[in-house]
Amino acid sequence: MRSAAFLFAYSLKRVRTLILTTGLLLAGLQLVLIFVAGSIQSSGGFDQLAALIPPFARQLLGPSVVTFMSFSGIVCLGYFELAVMGALIALAVTLATVPASEVEIGIMDLILARPLARHWIITRTVVLTTLVSAFMLALMVAGTWVGLELFAPAGIAWPSSKLINSLAINLGMLTLCWGGVAMAIGAASSRRSVAGGAAGLLALATFLLDYVARLWQPAEKIAWLSPFRYYNPFDLITGNTLPYRNLLVLGSIALAGFAAAYALFARRDISH
Amino acid sequence: MAPISIRGLTKRYGNVLAVNNLSLEAIQGEILGFLGLNGAGKTTTIRILLDLLRPSSGNAFILGHDCQRDGLQARANIGYLPGEMGIYSDLTGREVLDLLAGLSGHVINVSRRRELQERLEFPESDLRRRLREYSTGMKRKLGLIQAFQSDPLLLILDEPTEGLDPLMQESFYKLLVDAKQHGRTVFMSSHVLSEVERVCDRIALVRKGELVLLSSMEELHKLAARTVRVLFSEDVPSPRSWKLKVEGPLGPLLQTIATLPVHDIEIEEPKLEDVILKYYRGGHQ
Repeated sequence: MRSAAFLFAYSLKRVRTLILTTGLLLAGLQLVLIFVAGSIQSSGGFDQLAALIPPFARQLLGPSVVTFMSFSGIVCLGYFELAVMGALIALAVTLATVPASEVEIGIMDLILARPLARHWIITRTVVLTTLVSAFMLALMVAGTWVGLELFAPAGIAWPSSKLINSLAINLGMLTLCWGGVAMAIGAASSRRSVAGGAAGLLALATFLLDYVARLWQPAEKIAWLSPFRYYNPFDLITGNTLPYRNLLVLGSIALAGFAAAYALFARRDISH
Repeated sequence: MAPISIRGLTKRYGNVLAVNNLSLEAIQGEILGFLGLNGAGKTTTIRILLDLLRPSSGNAFILGHDCQRDGLQARANIGYLPGEMGIYSDLTGREVLDLLAGLSGHVINVSRRRELQERLEFPESDLRRRLREYSTGMKRKLGLIQAFQSDPLLLILDEPTEGLDPLMQESFYKLLVDAKQHGRTVFMSSHVLSEVERVCDRIALVRKGELVLLSSMEELHKLAARTVRVLFSEDVPSPRSWKLKVEGPLGPLLQTIATLPVHDIEIEEPKLEDVILKYYRGGHQ
């Protein structure tokens, strides 16, 4: 147990710069978005933007687009903006593939030559990925509230804390889901680039599947396979409550990934 | 209880047999050299002992503990030097030593570490440098310090002198002798026959994954043929000079030539290399 605690502390120390940099960037982005949203709101720009959307486009995109063209909508954008989602998923994949990197470098030989059970390698990675994902979301939420305090125009309605928390929780589960998938791949791999690349490609493919399915009906039949299907920020922004089914599906994928990682890493040969 | 006990160990990669039905035991307090050409199965065997690889069949035990079923106990008292020290290059030498000592669950013995540093000429200033600035020899020395620093009961060393200069090799040999005198067991793979001859008590030689020789150095010398040169003072026997390869005792030869006019006799000590190379080539069959 002492060795495992030492391994965890050491692993955390190694990624601390990455975590802090990414966290501060994501929190900073919330501040920027709120500053921009406040500026647009003060200049009456949202009404003009909404008026520019032709009626057929409103009908096609639904009421969410109008809701999105608001102060609250832009504030929430930080939770489903492609770069933010990409950064969070990339961070989770990076952390989840630490074992593959350790095998590749050769340090895993020295670690496992000590009296340390293999499952601690995966437990360390699960804990690290989960804690870091939660920390990232916590920093983003903190950034949102700090930004609202600093830059929200007077008298404007803020998004509710329930909405922000729902977005953060759903996005956090999506991040963890990809962490689980990457961990399962990484546990069987001896190359981080292979594991990370495979997880990244899978994420991109399923993201595109979800995206295409929203525009093209036939793809809808298989869209349930995409984890991105279980993160609907626009539904939340329009006032719907967070569906627990989404959390359940994403959480189950994450857990299945973690379980697969334990099983695969326990049985594999460590060779680089 | 044998420090290392390997019974019918086999490791297969698809159709390739990396280790084939290998059985051997190390004796406490000995230095056992593990020899073989590249790809003979030395590193595979070592990695099975450390439970980095899982055997296809057979068992390996360290200090009585099954390396696979009871791996934590098996690895609780070993020092391991891998063939290549794979480690993050942005760490300093000190961080590496602290990390590996911490993962062992041992309290860092500062005086022991200092002693090793002194003996391997590895000053504090080098420990403060990052590994990316280290030469191959420095990395090897660091590897030796991490393997020896907890004073383990069993040392498993994979090509330990690779990259060490002759002076450091000397220091390393002294470390081995000290470890042996303190009852520690050393299991080391090596390519350097002179090193094996000098420090090992016994050797285990593997070829194509199979153990082809397990012998003490004394027995091994007996297996080797001595070269005897006899120079006669007269042309009684022809030719006047004989060069003979003699396996076993010299008595019968001496009896034979006793009646002849021997001017000089020169006996060349057997070369371990000749025997080992013969086994490497499979010529012993």
